[in-house]
Amino acid sequence: MGVIQKKNTKTHQLNISSLYKSYGSLQVLQDVSFSYQSGSSVAIIGPSGSGKSTLLHIIGTLESPSKGKVEIDGTNPFQLSDQELARFRNSMIGFVFQDHHLLPQYSVLENILLPTLAFRKKADAAEYAENLINKVGLSGRISHRPGELSGGERQRVAIVRALINNPSILLCDEPTGNLDNSTTEEIAKLLFELHTTQNTLLIAVTHNLNFASQFTHQLKLENGRCTADTPSNIED
Amino acid sequence: MHSFWLTIKYYWGINLTLLLCIALATGVLVGSLIVGDSMRGSLSDITLERLGKIHHAVVADHFFDPKMVNEIDTHAAIILNGPIVVPSTQARASKVNVYGVKDTFFNLWDNSTPNWRNTQNQVFPNIIINEYLKKELNVDIGDTVIVRIPNTGQIHPEFLLGKTDPNDVVNSIRAVISDILTSDQGGRFNLNAHQSLPLNVYLPLSVLQEKLDQQDKVNAVFTTTPNSTQDLIQLNIKGLGLSLHQNNHHIDLQTDQYVLSPYIASIASEIASDNNIPIFPSLTYLANSISYISSDDGIEDIESKKIPYSTIIAIPFQNGNFTEIFNDNITIAGDRLFVERQIKEQQLSEAKKIEINREYDGQFQEVMKELAELTKQNLSQTSEYKIVSSRRDKLHAEINRKQDEITRFYNTDGIYLNRWAAEDLGVTIGDKVSVSYYTITTQEEYITETTSFLVKGIVPIEGLIADTDIIPQFPGIHETENISEWNPPFPLDYSLIRDKDEEYWDEYKTTAKAFISLQTGQKLWKNRFGELTSIRFGRIPGQNIQETRTIIEAELLSRLEPEQLGFQFIPIRSNGLNSAKGSSDFAMLFSSMSGFIIIAATVLIGLVFKLGVEQRSREIGILQSMGYTIKKIRRRLLSEGILLTLFGSLAGCLFAIGYAKLLIYGLHTWWLPAIGTPFIRLHIRSLSLIIGVMISIAVVISSIILAVRKIGKSTIIGQLNKVSVYSTDESRVDSKKKIKTIRMQFYSTFFIAPLFSGVFLGEIVTGDWVDLIISYLLIGIVFTLLLFILRKLLNTHAEFSIYNYITLVLVTLIGLTTGILINFILLIKDVNLRDFTLFHNPVSRFIFFTIGSLSFCFLLFSKWLRSNKISQNLSRLRFSIKNIARQTARSESCVMTISLACCIIVAVGANRQDAIPQSEFSFVAESSLPIHYDINTNEGRRKLGFSTEDSTKLSESEILSFRVLPGEDISCLNLYKPEKPQILGAPTGMLNNDPWTYLKQMNFSHQTIPAIGDNNSLKWILQHNPNENFIIDDETGKQLYLRINTIENSLYQSQLIISETNFLKYFPNESGYQFFLIKTPEAYRSETSEILEKTLTDFGFDVTSASDRLAGFRSVQNTYISTFQSLGGLGLLIGTFGMALVMIRNIIERKGELATLRAFGYSRMLLLGLLFFESSLLLIIGMLIGIISGVVGIIAIQGGIPSLPWISLSITLLFVLFFGIIANVLAVIIALRSPLIATLKSE
Repeated sequence: MGVIQKKNTKTHQLNISSLYKSYGSLQVLQDVSFSYQSGSSVAIIGPSGSGKSTLLHIIGTLESPSKGKVEIDGTNPFQLSDQELARFRNSMIGFVFQDHHLLPQYSVLENILLPTLAFRKKADAAEYAENLINKVGLSGRISHRPGELSGGERQRVAIVRALINNPSILLCDEPTGNLDNSTTEEIAKLLFELHTTQNTLLIAVTHNLNFASQFTHQLKLENGRCTADTPSNIED
Repeated sequence: MHSFWLTIKYYWGINLTLLLCIALATGVLVGSLIVGDSMRGSLSDITLERLGKIHHAVVADHFFDPKMVNEIDTHAAIILNGPIVVPSTQARASKVNVYGVKDTFFNLWDNSTPNWRNTQNQVFPNIIINEYLKKELNVDIGDTVIVRIPNTGQIHPEFLLGKTDPNDVVNSIRAVISDILTSDQGGRFNLNAHQSLPLNVYLPLSVLQEKLDQQDKVNAVFTTTPNSTQDLIQLNIKGLGLSLHQNNHHIDLQTDQYVLSPYIASIASEIASDNNIPIFPSLTYLANSISYISSDDGIEDIESKKIPYSTIIAIPFQNGNFTEIFNDNITIAGDRLFVERQIKEQQLSEAKKIEINREYDGQFQEVMKELAELTKQNLSQTSEYKIVSSRRDKLHAEINRKQDEITRFYNTDGIYLNRWAAEDLGVTIGDKVSVSYYTITTQEEYITETTSFLVKGIVPIEGLIADTDIIPQFPGIHETENISEWNPPFPLDYSLIRDKDEEYWDEYKTTAKAFISLQTGQKLWKNRFGELTSIRFGRIPGQNIQETRTIIEAELLSRLEPEQLGFQFIPIRSNGLNSAKGSSDFAMLFSSMSGFIIIAATVLIGLVFKLGVEQRSREIGILQSMGYTIKKIRRRLLSEGILLTLFGSLAGCLFAIGYAKLLIYGLHTWWLPAIGTPFIRLHIRSLSLIIGVMISIAVVISSIILAVRKIGKSTIIGQLNKVSVYSTDESRVDSKKKIKTIRMQFYSTFFIAPLFSGVFLGEIVTGDWVDLIISYLLIGIVFTLLLFILRKLLNTHAEFSIYNYITLVLVTLIGLTTGILINFILLIKDVNLRDFTLFHNPVSRFIFFTIGSLSFCFLLFSKWLRSNKISQNLSRLRFSIKNIARQTARSESCVMTISLACCIIVAVGANRQDAIPQSEFSFVAESSLPIHYDINTNEGRRKLGFSTEDSTKLSESEILSFRVLPGEDISCLNLYKPEKPQILGAPTGMLNNDPWTYLKQMNFSHQTIPAIGDNNSLKWILQHNPNENFIIDDETGKQLYLRINTIENSLYQSQLIISETNFLKYFPNESGYQFFLIKTPEAYRSETSEILEKTLTDFGFDVTSASDRLAGFRSVQNTYISTFQSLGGLGLLIGTFGMALVMIRNIIERKGELATLRAFGYSRMLLLGLLFFESSLLLIIGMLIGIISGVVGIIAIQGGIPSLPWISLSITLLFVLFFGIIANVLAVIIALRSPLIATLKSE
């Protein structure tokens, strides 16, 4: 494993207050409020249709709230222009999806480097990507295409891709949803390891309570409302 | 059915798009067919409007009695051509059709009752003009015009007694316009089929007959009976201008054309022979003088021994009863004297000839030695050789001329003089006399020739000698009281006429003073019109003279064929309607030119259908999971497709009418030069609609079947997860498919390669071995590349190993070798390989090299697309390239479509010739009336009325004068299919240089002569097969075979050209020159044109710039190219929309990817930019490949860097680029409008 060179030294703050989201007459989120700092890990749990992914997408600035306030490091991203918002998302947020969403035509390295193309690419991006690939144990697969990787390997690539721009917040939407138990454990371990070393705020949507139990906080959503925010005993 | 409707309704958007695409494809195809129908229909309409109720026409090259046309409803007319001038404004129009008709002629059109009645005290006759002439001259009813017409007498102008003086050949009629005819009132009447509007005037028939001195005669008769046949022409002796003078002992057959045509003479001889009638043919000529030559060296005693202007008759002396008088006047002593003198003359002649040969022998030997030396040095093709051989020819001509003079001076033929002439000259038997007479050159110049004779006998003026019945009437001579009153067309020196000559005239009139043998007379005086002036018949044994006359007349009328006498029976209506089918099939033309649109629309249909199916991938997956077989699903989709096709095709019929109207509007405005006149009206034939719809349905359904067949290649789960129903895992290509692919490739190679080499190598096989090997390898490489591309296109995904490649090359070479062997067999079998090979054809060369270039570029592109390098430095450029490579087949299809379209646009555009065309001639001129003098000579110009000053200026120019056989325009300016092309007789002077020397070749066989024509006219308008003779009718109605060599882009696109010699041989009755090419120094350009038009205004002399004439032809070609470019551009536009659709399909498939990129901070603009870049890159690559390949193809034709019309071509290509980019932008915007983020949600 190589040495990870980059780490968030600054403390980042996510504040959400009185958040509402509706699609027409359908209320998806109602009066959701919470606040977390970098270094924390939050598992969002709840039944299907409770608004978990919508909340994650609002935090990730992919969707805007109908009402309420979202602040990341004191900035309301939804007041930014499309271009500023894209830059904000590119630098502050990393995503890991259930369906890894790797681009099939690109190699592992190229997939990882994709977020760096959105804005001026850092000179050492490729070197940093290789370091991360080494860290997740995929150094032998660097030029392979997603079609040639296993489910776990694909998800590891997706995690590395999410971290390539050294984000403050790492958002995961069911990152282990398509994986078997042993792979889930492996991915969970990797995720927490990287979260710790990178000092990110890790927020994940999951149905897997065992996986959720490893997070510092569990946020439970029911019918769009936040019913419990339980700090876990497990602290990093 | 209900579920069908529900499905169609649910997916209404995509189905509507599909329906519109089908309607578009059908509409364009059917619309093109409708344009063809409209063109044919409109040309037919014009024909019917042009001819009214006329079905047949009898026309002749001479005037005849209209009663000879035996039909119930006939309309006699005189048809002439000439210029017209408005005296008040000096406005003029050339080539105006002048019709002399009766009132009843207008009954041939419904609602045509023009006003022709004279007003009181009107001096000049009334004239009716058509609306087009009114517009041309800006005149109206009541205005006065002057019509000039040819004064066509019975005697041919180019015969000695014919009139050629401008004052004699041009007749002027001043007339007052009394009415104006519209097209539907007969204003379009014309014998020739042409879509352009004719300029017509109509005069009362009696006015023209009087003016031309042709009472009761016409040169055309029209009938309205649909079933008439040639038998309706019933000849009569008088109507043919023949006469049978009868006296107690004999009957003389003569013609008012003075010389009996060889055909009539031969029929008369046949009748005489068959009925045992003795005949006595004779040729009467006018001698300028008969002189006594007292010395051996030819010095005449001018003062006292010369008789001016005498009639001489050439007769067969050994002709029984007719020539008894000559035998009776020959004595033994006289005969001996004559023979002695003959021997002496012969000896003198031989001696003189030897002297001449000796004189020139030295020079001749020297020239021949020089020629031999040059031939030895292999310099026979050099200009030096040509100079020396021209010296040899001149020497030959000089020797021949001198020998001829000697022959004529020491001629030993005998002459009989009447007693008066012998006494006047003071000659006796054995004395030598010279006879001088005029001959006439083809340029209407009178040349005085002299031939000597020995007096064989002196005969009293009695019997045959005093018989003037044998002498046809000389116009301008016969009827005069005194010689001084003679008014012949040839020059006459009245000062030579003595009192005794007047006395002779008073007593004997035209009685011949001398007689020579018929053989000698014909040798001296025969011409293209004939060699006899009279045939005297004796009595049939046992019949009296009246009975004999009756038999001769009856036999003549039954044996003479009207067409051999210059009559033509023309089924003018059926010919016109046949010609209306057109020289170009506009249905095919516009179908081809709209081909791009049809192809693009068909491709679009396939794409839209696939898109529609992809939208329903989940539905297909569900149906499959419910137990539906893939066959059943395909059938269901196909049924929906067929239903939509039927509705789309019906909608397409409506669209077709709109499209046809648009094209017709285009032909009437933007592309007007292609048709000349906006005459097309919409005609719809149900058959075209049915054919168009059927073809369209077949094409569309094939396209849909292809799309449906590929369904079901992804897994059910994949489809349920909305993965494309067409996607396939590359790794899962089974070995069965590989084998199938290779087998297909093997068979196709093995069968196509021989054909390919057979076509292209045929000619080379006969040539050089090096050429053969190079071509063999070249074709092998190109063909292999082609197969490779084909395989890629078929998307077989088989691994392309080096072993595959070697197999491919080997199979190709085996195939090619087979092809070459086939060629050898053909060669051995003596089959003309040129018939089989296309390689010498520029079009096939173009296709070969263009396809080669396209294949090579595609191969490079394909290779580049599939290159699999992993880069450490992922850039946005590489990002886009990778995305293009994601669906290689789709990207290749896009590039291929665009490049093919651009290639064709470049290739077609390259043929556009924007530069002002250059010609070695400054002007082309045509005259409405024939000109009989040589404008190149001072004498000719003087006779034509040019002032000395103008004549001096004109002497700086060189004018080539052509004879013209009237006929139809065979250039691209005529949309009708010409039945009878116009023929030009090229002057001998121009036949010394290539390509015209070909016309000097000896005629190939009986009635087969060399001719030259413009390649474009022959190929496209006459649709003539270059390996066959082109058949026309000569003047006697016999078939004349033209073996045609072609020239390119010439001034002669409207006519076929033969040599003047052949022209005069086969069309002897056509007189004068009517087509001229003028070379003039730049400084005299404007003056020359002005002088010619001004002085020759009576002839309707029209001068046009040669460049303008060429530009006129070129504009048609350029317009077709513009049409093609416009329609091709439209097709390409639809093609780019197809590309946009591919883009939308790609984006829909990549929604997840794009959403991910959005999640990682790619702004919407950035995504838009990247996608736009991807599609534009494909567009630009496609365009570049197309442009390069197009240029390569043109270089292959032109053999060098092509002179392309860069501006127009750049504009077209920029237009394509612009619309391509617009389509791409729209595609990206539309595709990115739908929310992307939703695809990222896991729940």
